Amino acid sequence: MGITFDSEGPGARAASESFGRPAMAEIATVERGPVDVRPSFDLITRFLLDSVVVGVRGDIDLLTAPALEGLLAALIDGGHKNLVLDLADLDFMDAQGLRVLAAVSGRLLSATGSLTIRSPSVAVLRLLDVMAMTDLVELRPVRAEVKTLGAEQRSDAPAAASAALPPEPAAGVPALLAALPVATDLIDAALRMVTALTRATLRSADGVSVTLTRHGQLTTVAASDETIAQMDRDQYATGEGPCLAAASEGHWFHVESLAEEQRWPQFIPRAVAGGIASILSSPLLVGDRAMGALNIYSNRERAFGPEDQELAALFAGHASKILAEARQDVTANEMGLRLRDALGTREVIAQAQGVLMARDGGSAEASYGAMRQSSKRAGVTVRAQAFAILATTHAVTTGQPIAEVTS
Amino acid sequence: MNPQSGLLEGARRRTGMSHGELWFRYFELGGMSTALEVEAFLYDALSPTNHDRNLVATALNERFSELGGDHPVPYTDDVDSS
Repeated sequence: MGITFDSEGPGARAASESFGRPAMAEIATVERGPVDVRPSFDLITRFLLDSVVVGVRGDIDLLTAPALEGLLAALIDGGHKNLVLDLADLDFMDAQGLRVLAAVSGRLLSATGSLTIRSPSVAVLRLLDVMAMTDLVELRPVRAEVKTLGAEQRSDAPAAASAALPPEPAAGVPALLAALPVATDLIDAALRMVTALTRATLRSADGVSVTLTRHGQLTTVAASDETIAQMDRDQYATGEGPCLAAASEGHWFHVESLAEEQRWPQFIPRAVAGGIASILSSPLLVGDRAMGALNIYSNRERAFGPEDQELAALFAGHASKILAEARQDVTANEMGLRLRDALGTREVIAQAQGVLMARDGGSAEASYGAMRQSSKRAGVTVRAQAFAILATTHAVTTGQPIAEVTS
Repeated sequence: MNPQSGLLEGARRRTGMSHGELWFRYFELGGMSTALEVEAFLYDALSPTNHDRNLVATALNERFSELGGDHPVPYTDDVDSS
Protein backbone atom coordinates (compact mmCIF):
# COMPACT_ATOMS: atom_id res chain seq x y z
CA MET A 1 0.00 0.00 0.00
CA GLY A 2 1.98 2.97 -1.17
CA ILE A 3 0.89 6.04 0.67
CA THR A 4 2.05 9.34 -0.71
CA PHE A 5 1.05 12.86 0.01
CA ASP A 6 0.75 15.66 -2.45
CA SER A 7 1.74 19.16 -1.48
CA GLU A 8 -1.72 19.82 -0.07
CA GLY A 9 -1.76 16.75 2.15
CA PRO A 10 -1.06 16.46 5.83
CA GLY A 11 2.39 15.04 5.09
CA ALA A 12 3.46 18.19 3.37
CA ARG A 13 2.47 20.25 6.36
CA ALA A 14 4.94 18.33 8.46
CA ALA A 15 7.88 19.12 6.29
CA SER A 16 9.18 21.83 8.53
CA GLU A 17 12.83 22.61 9.03
CA SER A 18 12.19 23.76 12.53
CA PHE A 19 10.65 20.92 14.49
CA GLY A 20 13.90 20.33 16.25
CA ARG A 21 13.42 16.57 16.31
CA PRO A 22 15.91 14.62 14.22
CA ALA A 23 13.48 11.87 13.25
CA MET A 24 11.12 14.48 11.93
CA ALA A 25 13.65 15.87 9.49
CA GLU A 26 14.20 12.44 8.03
CA ILE A 27 10.53 11.91 7.40
CA ALA A 28 10.13 15.42 6.17
CA THR A 29 12.67 15.13 3.38
CA VAL A 30 10.88 12.09 2.02
CA GLU A 31 7.37 13.40 2.24
CA ARG A 32 7.99 16.92 1.06
CA GLY A 33 6.06 17.46 -2.14
CA PRO A 34 7.10 19.67 -5.02
CA VAL A 35 7.70 23.06 -3.47
CA ASP A 36 6.28 26.09 -5.22
CA VAL A 37 5.17 29.16 -3.38
CA ARG A 38 1.57 29.50 -4.25
CA PRO A 39 0.49 32.42 -6.37
CA SER A 40 -2.34 33.09 -3.91
CA PHE A 41 0.16 34.25 -1.28
CA ASP A 42 1.36 37.80 -1.02
CA LEU A 43 3.07 40.02 1.52
CA ILE A 44 2.53 43.77 1.39
CA THR A 45 4.89 45.88 3.48
CA ARG A 46 4.19 49.47 4.45
CA PHE A 47 6.68 51.55 6.41
CA LEU A 48 5.02 53.97 8.81
CA LEU A 49 6.62 56.52 11.09
CA ASP A 50 6.95 54.29 14.15
CA SER A 51 6.02 50.85 12.85
CA VAL A 52 6.00 48.55 9.87
CA VAL A 53 2.73 47.04 8.73
CA VAL A 54 2.95 43.70 6.95
CA GLY A 55 -0.25 42.69 5.22
CA VAL A 56 -0.72 39.01 4.45
CA ARG A 57 -2.92 37.83 1.58
CA GLY A 58 -3.73 34.15 1.13
CA ASP A 59 -2.56 31.24 3.27
CA ILE A 60 0.17 31.00 5.88
CA ASP A 61 1.20 27.35 5.87
CA LEU A 62 4.19 25.13 5.45
CA LEU A 63 5.10 26.58 2.08
CA THR A 64 4.56 30.24 2.82
CA ALA A 65 5.49 30.53 6.51
CA PRO A 66 9.25 30.67 5.77
CA ALA A 67 8.70 33.65 3.47
CA LEU A 68 6.76 35.47 6.18
CA GLU A 69 9.35 34.54 8.77
CA GLY A 70 12.15 35.70 6.52
CA LEU A 71 10.52 39.06 5.90
CA LEU A 72 9.78 39.66 9.59
CA ALA A 73 13.32 38.60 10.54
CA ALA A 74 14.77 40.98 7.95
CA LEU A 75 12.65 43.82 9.34
CA ILE A 76 13.81 43.10 12.90
CA ASP A 77 17.42 42.84 11.72
CA GLY A 78 16.94 46.18 10.03
CA GLY A 79 16.12 47.75 13.39
CA HIS A 80 12.32 47.82 13.08
CA LYS A 81 10.93 46.95 16.49
CA ASN A 82 7.25 47.64 16.19
CA LEU A 83 5.69 45.29 13.69
CA VAL A 84 2.02 45.07 12.82
CA LEU A 85 0.74 41.98 11.08
CA ASP A 86 -2.44 42.79 9.20
CA LEU A 87 -4.41 39.58 8.69
CA ALA A 88 -7.52 41.12 7.13
CA ASP A 89 -6.88 39.30 3.83
CA LEU A 90 -5.64 36.08 5.37
CA ASP A 91 -7.52 33.00 4.21
CA PHE A 92 -5.93 30.32 6.35
CA MET A 93 -3.18 29.87 8.91
CA ASP A 94 -1.84 26.61 10.29
CA ALA A 95 0.61 25.61 13.01
CA GLN A 96 3.52 26.87 10.94
CA GLY A 97 2.05 30.35 11.05
CA LEU A 98 1.63 30.13 14.80
CA ARG A 99 5.22 29.01 15.12
CA VAL A 100 6.38 32.07 13.19
CA LEU A 101 4.25 34.35 15.37
CA ALA A 102 5.66 32.80 18.55
CA ALA A 103 9.24 33.06 17.32
CA VAL A 104 8.90 36.63 16.07
CA SER A 105 7.14 37.94 19.17
CA GLY A 106 9.80 36.26 21.30
CA ARG A 107 12.53 38.00 19.35
CA LEU A 108 10.77 41.34 19.52
CA LEU A 109 10.26 40.97 23.24
CA SER A 110 14.00 40.58 23.78
CA ALA A 111 14.50 43.64 21.61
CA THR A 112 11.84 45.50 23.64
CA GLY A 113 9.66 45.84 20.59
CA SER A 114 6.16 44.63 19.93
CA LEU A 115 4.20 42.49 17.53
CA THR A 116 0.58 43.43 17.02
CA ILE A 117 -1.91 41.28 15.19
CA ARG A 118 -4.43 43.38 13.32
CA SER A 119 -7.81 42.20 12.02
CA PRO A 120 -7.45 38.49 12.83
CA SER A 121 -10.34 36.31 11.72
CA VAL A 122 -12.46 34.55 14.31
CA ALA A 123 -10.68 31.29 13.44
CA VAL A 124 -7.24 32.83 13.97
CA LEU A 125 -8.37 34.45 17.21
CA ARG A 126 -9.64 31.10 18.38
CA LEU A 127 -6.28 29.51 17.52
CA LEU A 128 -4.38 32.22 19.37
CA ASP A 129 -6.73 31.82 22.31
CA VAL A 130 -6.30 28.05 22.42
CA MET A 131 -2.55 28.55 22.29
CA ALA A 132 -2.72 31.11 25.10
CA MET A 133 -0.97 33.42 22.66
CA THR A 134 -3.32 36.37 22.69
CA ASP A 135 -1.11 38.06 25.26
CA LEU A 136 2.12 37.01 23.65
CA VAL A 137 1.40 38.64 20.34
CA GLU A 138 -0.03 41.83 21.74
CA LEU A 139 2.87 42.64 24.02
CA ARG A 140 3.58 46.30 24.40
CA PRO A 141 7.16 47.57 24.71
CA VAL A 142 8.18 46.56 28.21
CA ARG A 143 10.68 49.32 28.76
CA ALA A 144 8.66 52.30 27.68
CA GLU A 145 8.96 53.80 31.15
CA VAL A 146 12.74 53.72 31.00
CA LYS A 147 12.57 56.57 28.51
CA THR A 148 11.03 58.81 31.13
CA LEU A 149 14.29 58.51 33.05
CA GLY A 150 16.28 59.93 30.14
CA ALA A 151 18.25 63.08 30.84
CA GLU A 152 16.21 65.12 28.39
CA GLN A 153 13.01 64.59 30.35
CA ARG A 154 14.50 65.50 33.66
CA SER A 155 13.87 69.26 33.37
CA ASP A 156 10.21 68.70 32.51
CA ALA A 157 9.60 66.86 35.77
CA PRO A 158 11.15 68.87 38.56
CA ALA A 159 8.79 67.36 41.10
CA ALA A 160 9.85 63.80 40.33
CA ALA A 161 12.02 62.00 42.86
CA SER A 162 14.82 61.79 40.35
CA ALA A 163 15.00 65.56 40.15
CA ALA A 164 16.59 65.56 43.58
CA LEU A 165 19.58 63.72 42.19
CA PRO A 166 22.86 65.58 41.83
CA PRO A 167 22.88 66.64 38.18
CA GLU A 168 26.54 66.25 37.18
CA PRO A 169 27.28 62.56 37.52
CA ALA A 170 23.76 61.19 37.35
CA ALA A 171 22.27 62.97 34.35
CA GLY A 172 23.68 60.66 31.70
CA VAL A 173 23.65 57.55 33.83
CA PRO A 174 20.04 56.44 33.50
CA ALA A 175 20.25 56.75 29.72
CA LEU A 176 23.37 54.63 29.85
CA LEU A 177 21.58 52.09 32.01
CA ALA A 178 18.66 51.99 29.62
CA ALA A 179 21.04 50.94 26.89
CA LEU A 180 22.36 48.01 28.90
CA PRO A 181 21.81 44.60 27.38
CA VAL A 182 19.08 42.55 29.03
CA ALA A 183 19.27 39.23 27.20
CA THR A 184 19.44 36.32 29.60
CA ASP A 185 22.98 35.32 28.79
CA LEU A 186 24.09 38.91 29.28
CA ILE A 187 22.45 39.47 32.63
CA ASP A 188 25.69 39.07 34.56
CA ALA A 189 27.41 41.51 32.24
CA ALA A 190 24.56 43.96 32.76
CA LEU A 191 24.81 43.65 36.53
CA ARG A 192 28.57 44.07 36.38
CA MET A 193 27.95 47.24 34.42
CA VAL A 194 25.56 48.47 37.11
CA THR A 195 28.22 47.69 39.69
CA ALA A 196 30.84 49.65 37.78
CA LEU A 197 28.47 52.59 37.23
CA THR A 198 27.54 52.67 40.91
CA ARG A 199 31.18 52.59 41.87
CA ALA A 200 32.02 55.39 39.44
CA THR A 201 29.02 57.56 40.33
CA LEU A 202 29.03 57.37 44.12
CA ARG A 203 32.14 59.22 45.20
CA SER A 204 31.87 57.73 48.67
CA ALA A 205 31.83 54.16 47.36
CA ASP A 206 35.06 52.26 47.76
CA GLY A 207 33.56 48.99 46.58
CA VAL A 208 30.31 47.71 45.10
CA SER A 209 28.84 44.25 44.65
CA VAL A 210 25.62 42.62 43.50
CA THR A 211 24.34 39.61 45.40
CA LEU A 212 21.74 37.39 43.75
CA THR A 213 19.67 34.41 44.79
CA ARG A 214 20.41 31.68 42.29
CA HIS A 215 19.08 28.17 42.68
CA GLY A 216 18.11 29.04 46.24
CA GLN A 217 21.62 30.20 47.15
CA LEU A 218 23.05 33.67 47.44
CA THR A 219 25.96 34.31 45.12
CA THR A 220 27.97 37.36 44.14
CA VAL A 221 27.48 37.98 40.43
CA ALA A 222 29.51 41.15 40.33
CA ALA A 223 32.07 42.76 42.63
CA SER A 224 34.27 45.78 42.04
CA ASP A 225 37.33 44.12 43.55
CA GLU A 226 38.55 41.12 45.47
CA THR A 227 38.20 42.74 48.92
CA ILE A 228 34.51 43.32 48.20
CA ALA A 229 34.01 39.79 46.87
CA GLN A 230 35.56 38.59 50.13
CA MET A 231 33.11 40.78 52.12
CA ASP A 232 30.23 39.00 50.41
CA ARG A 233 31.79 35.60 50.98
CA ASP A 234 32.24 36.42 54.67
CA GLN A 235 28.55 37.12 54.92
CA TYR A 236 27.61 33.85 53.20
CA ALA A 237 30.07 32.01 55.49
CA THR A 238 28.76 33.53 58.71
CA GLY A 239 25.17 33.50 57.48
CA GLU A 240 24.63 37.12 58.48
CA GLY A 241 25.27 40.69 57.42
CA PRO A 242 23.50 43.66 55.83
CA CYS A 243 23.64 42.27 52.27
CA LEU A 244 22.06 39.00 53.33
CA ALA A 245 19.46 40.89 55.34
CA ALA A 246 18.59 43.16 52.40
CA ALA A 247 18.47 40.21 49.99
CA SER A 248 16.21 38.18 52.24
CA GLU A 249 14.05 40.80 53.94
CA GLY A 250 13.56 43.04 50.90
CA HIS A 251 14.32 46.42 52.46
CA TRP A 252 17.52 48.41 52.71
CA PHE A 253 20.10 48.21 55.46
CA HIS A 254 22.46 51.05 56.24
CA VAL A 255 25.39 50.48 58.57
CA GLU A 256 26.67 53.98 59.25
CA SER A 257 29.55 52.85 61.41
CA LEU A 258 30.75 49.29 61.63
CA ALA A 259 32.67 50.18 64.81
CA GLU A 260 29.41 51.01 66.57
CA GLU A 261 27.28 48.27 64.96
CA GLN A 262 25.71 45.77 67.37
CA ARG A 263 24.00 43.50 64.81
CA TRP A 264 25.77 40.66 62.96
CA PRO A 265 28.53 40.00 65.58
CA GLN A 266 30.12 37.25 63.46
CA PHE A 267 30.44 39.24 60.26
CA ILE A 268 31.21 42.77 61.46
CA PRO A 269 34.71 42.01 62.89
CA ARG A 270 35.71 40.42 59.58
CA ALA A 271 34.54 43.51 57.67
CA VAL A 272 36.39 45.83 60.05
CA ALA A 273 39.51 43.74 59.56
CA GLY A 274 39.05 44.23 55.81
CA GLY A 275 39.11 48.00 56.27
CA ILE A 276 35.36 48.57 55.75
CA ALA A 277 33.78 51.31 57.86
CA SER A 278 30.25 51.66 56.46
CA ILE A 279 27.88 49.62 54.28
CA LEU A 280 24.72 50.45 52.35
CA SER A 281 22.71 47.49 51.04
CA SER A 282 19.64 47.99 48.86
CA PRO A 283 17.36 45.09 47.93
CA LEU A 284 16.76 44.00 44.32
CA LEU A 285 13.05 43.38 44.00
CA VAL A 286 11.20 41.53 41.27
CA GLY A 287 7.55 42.15 41.88
CA ASP A 288 7.50 42.25 45.67
CA ARG A 289 10.01 39.43 46.01
CA ALA A 290 13.58 40.11 47.11
CA MET A 291 15.99 38.51 44.63
CA GLY A 292 19.28 39.95 45.85
CA ALA A 293 20.99 43.14 46.91
CA LEU A 294 23.17 45.95 45.64
CA ASN A 295 25.89 46.44 48.23
CA ILE A 296 28.00 49.57 48.56
CA TYR A 297 31.01 49.61 50.86
CA SER A 298 33.10 52.53 52.11
CA ASN A 299 36.32 52.83 54.05
CA ARG A 300 34.94 55.89 55.84
CA GLU A 301 32.32 56.00 58.55
CA ARG A 302 29.02 57.72 57.73
CA ALA A 303 30.09 57.93 54.11
CA PHE A 304 26.62 57.70 52.57
CA GLY A 305 24.55 60.86 52.70
CA PRO A 306 21.00 61.33 51.40
CA GLU A 307 22.19 61.80 47.81
CA ASP A 308 24.16 58.57 47.90
CA GLN A 309 21.14 56.78 49.29
CA GLU A 310 18.98 58.17 46.49
CA LEU A 311 21.49 57.03 43.89
CA ALA A 312 21.81 53.61 45.50
CA ALA A 313 18.03 53.23 45.31
CA LEU A 314 18.09 54.31 41.66
CA PHE A 315 20.78 51.80 40.73
CA ALA A 316 19.12 49.04 42.72
CA GLY A 317 15.92 49.84 40.86
CA HIS A 318 17.68 49.46 37.52
CA ALA A 319 19.33 46.23 38.55
CA SER A 320 15.89 44.98 39.61
CA LYS A 321 14.48 45.95 36.26
CA ILE A 322 17.23 44.06 34.45
CA LEU A 323 16.38 41.01 36.51
CA ALA A 324 12.67 41.33 35.92
CA GLU A 325 13.09 41.67 32.17
CA ALA A 326 15.55 38.80 32.00
CA ARG A 327 13.02 36.62 33.76
CA GLN A 328 10.34 37.71 31.35
CA ASP A 329 12.59 36.92 28.40
CA VAL A 330 13.34 33.48 29.76
CA THR A 331 9.67 32.77 30.23
CA ALA A 332 8.71 33.93 26.76
CA ASN A 333 11.63 32.07 25.22
CA GLU A 334 10.93 28.84 27.08
CA MET A 335 7.29 29.13 26.17
CA GLY A 336 8.20 29.60 22.53
CA LEU A 337 10.38 26.49 22.57
CA ARG A 338 7.76 24.34 24.29
CA LEU A 339 5.12 25.63 21.95
CA ARG A 340 7.23 24.72 18.95
CA ASP A 341 7.78 21.19 20.27
CA ALA A 342 4.12 20.76 21.12
CA LEU A 343 3.05 21.89 17.67
CA GLY A 344 5.54 19.45 16.15
CA THR A 345 4.13 16.59 18.21
CA ARG A 346 0.58 17.49 17.26
CA GLU A 347 1.50 17.42 13.60
CA VAL A 348 3.20 14.05 13.89
CA ILE A 349 0.25 12.55 15.73
CA ALA A 350 -2.22 14.00 13.22
CA GLN A 351 -0.24 12.56 10.32
CA ALA A 352 0.01 9.12 11.87
CA GLN A 353 -3.71 9.31 12.51
CA GLY A 354 -4.20 10.10 8.83
CA VAL A 355 -2.03 7.18 7.82
CA LEU A 356 -4.10 4.79 9.94
CA MET A 357 -7.35 6.21 8.60
CA ALA A 358 -6.19 5.67 5.03
CA ARG A 359 -4.94 2.19 5.83
CA ASP A 360 -7.80 0.89 7.98
CA GLY A 361 -10.64 3.08 6.78
CA GLY A 362 -11.73 3.97 10.31
CA SER A 363 -12.84 7.31 11.69
CA ALA A 364 -10.36 9.84 13.00
CA GLU A 365 -11.32 8.99 16.55
CA ALA A 366 -11.08 5.24 16.00
CA SER A 367 -7.64 5.67 14.46
CA TYR A 368 -6.51 7.73 17.41
CA GLY A 369 -7.91 5.07 19.75
CA ALA A 370 -6.00 2.33 17.91
CA MET A 371 -2.80 4.34 18.11
CA ARG A 372 -3.32 5.01 21.82
CA GLN A 373 -4.07 1.38 22.63
CA SER A 374 -1.06 0.15 20.65
CA SER A 375 1.19 2.68 22.36
CA LYS A 376 -0.08 1.44 25.72
CA ARG A 377 0.63 -2.19 24.76
CA ALA A 378 4.09 -1.26 23.47
CA GLY A 379 4.79 0.76 26.61
CA VAL A 380 5.64 3.89 24.63
CA THR A 381 4.09 7.33 24.36
CA VAL A 382 1.49 8.16 21.73
CA ARG A 383 4.06 10.49 20.20
CA ALA A 384 6.64 7.69 19.90
CA GLN A 385 3.97 5.41 18.44
CA ALA A 386 3.04 8.06 15.89
CA PHE A 387 6.70 8.36 14.90
CA ALA A 388 6.88 4.58 14.50
CA ILE A 389 3.83 4.58 12.24
CA LEU A 390 5.28 7.37 10.11
CA ALA A 391 8.65 5.64 9.93
CA THR A 392 6.88 2.54 8.55
CA THR A 393 5.04 4.66 6.02
CA HIS A 394 8.34 6.22 5.10
CA ALA A 395 9.69 2.73 4.44
CA VAL A 396 6.69 1.97 2.22
CA THR A 397 7.04 5.10 0.14
CA THR A 398 10.79 4.75 -0.25
CA GLY A 399 10.74 1.04 -1.02
CA GLN A 400 12.86 0.21 1.98
CA PRO A 401 12.06 -2.94 3.95
CA ILE A 402 8.74 -2.68 5.71
CA ALA A 403 8.74 -2.91 9.45
CA GLU A 404 5.56 -4.22 11.07
CA VAL A 405 3.46 -1.52 12.65
CA THR A 406 2.44 -2.44 16.14
CA SER A 407 -1.29 -2.10 16.11
CA MET B 1 -21.41 10.12 31.91
CA ASN B 2 -18.50 9.59 34.16
CA PRO B 3 -18.66 6.36 36.14
CA GLN B 4 -15.86 7.39 38.46
CA SER B 5 -16.48 10.94 39.51
CA GLY B 6 -13.38 12.91 40.52
CA LEU B 7 -11.11 10.19 39.16
CA LEU B 8 -9.29 12.45 36.73
CA GLU B 9 -8.71 15.20 39.27
CA GLY B 10 -7.49 12.65 41.82
CA ALA B 11 -5.08 11.23 39.25
CA ARG B 12 -3.84 14.70 38.36
CA ARG B 13 -3.03 15.38 42.00
CA ARG B 14 -1.13 12.10 42.27
CA THR B 15 1.01 13.03 39.24
CA GLY B 16 1.80 16.37 40.87
CA MET B 17 1.07 18.18 37.60
CA SER B 18 -0.54 21.59 37.64
CA HIS B 19 -3.74 22.14 35.66
CA GLY B 20 -1.70 24.20 33.21
CA GLU B 21 0.86 21.46 32.68
CA LEU B 22 -1.84 18.85 32.19
CA TRP B 23 -3.57 21.08 29.63
CA PHE B 24 -0.30 21.58 27.77
CA ARG B 25 0.24 17.84 27.51
CA TYR B 26 -3.37 17.36 26.44
CA PHE B 27 -2.87 20.02 23.80
CA GLU B 28 0.36 18.40 22.64
CA LEU B 29 -1.55 15.16 22.11
CA GLY B 30 -3.93 16.96 19.79
CA GLY B 31 -6.60 18.26 22.17
CA MET B 32 -8.53 21.34 21.09
CA SER B 33 -10.37 22.32 24.28
CA THR B 34 -9.20 25.31 26.27
CA ALA B 35 -7.41 25.05 29.60
CA LEU B 36 -10.55 26.16 31.39
CA GLU B 37 -12.62 23.48 29.69
CA VAL B 38 -10.10 20.78 30.60
CA GLU B 39 -10.15 21.94 34.20
CA ALA B 40 -13.93 21.71 34.09
CA PHE B 41 -13.64 18.09 32.83
CA LEU B 42 -11.55 17.24 35.88
CA TYR B 43 -14.11 18.62 38.28
CA ASP B 44 -17.01 17.02 36.37
CA ALA B 45 -18.36 20.49 35.70
CA LEU B 46 -18.31 19.77 31.95
CA SER B 47 -18.75 16.43 30.19
CA PRO B 48 -15.90 15.76 27.78
CA THR B 49 -16.40 13.79 24.57
CA ASN B 50 -14.94 10.31 24.72
CA HIS B 51 -12.05 11.53 22.61
CA ASP B 52 -11.31 14.46 24.92
CA ARG B 53 -11.61 12.28 27.98
CA ASN B 54 -9.18 9.75 26.50
CA LEU B 55 -6.73 12.53 25.64
CA VAL B 56 -6.78 13.75 29.25
CA ALA B 57 -6.37 10.15 30.43
CA THR B 58 -3.45 9.67 28.03
CA ALA B 59 -1.76 12.84 29.28
CA LEU B 60 -2.13 11.61 32.87
CA ASN B 61 -1.05 8.04 32.07
CA GLU B 62 2.01 9.14 30.15
CA ARG B 63 3.02 11.19 33.19
CA PHE B 64 2.46 8.13 35.40
CA SER B 65 4.70 6.16 33.02
CA GLU B 66 7.43 8.78 33.33
CA LEU B 67 7.19 8.35 37.09
CA GLY B 68 7.70 4.63 36.67
CA GLY B 69 4.05 3.60 37.03
CA ASP B 70 1.46 1.83 34.93
CA HIS B 71 -1.53 3.37 33.14
CA PRO B 72 -3.94 3.66 36.08
CA VAL B 73 -6.46 5.95 34.41
CA PRO B 74 -8.91 3.88 32.33
CA TYR B 75 -9.89 4.85 28.78
CA THR B 76 -13.51 4.92 27.68
CA ASP B 77 -12.86 2.06 25.26
CA ASP B 78 -11.31 -0.25 27.83
CA VAL B 79 -13.72 0.33 30.71
CA ASP B 80 -15.97 -2.45 29.39
CA SER B 81 -13.35 -4.96 28.26
CA SER B 82 -11.13 -4.82 31.37
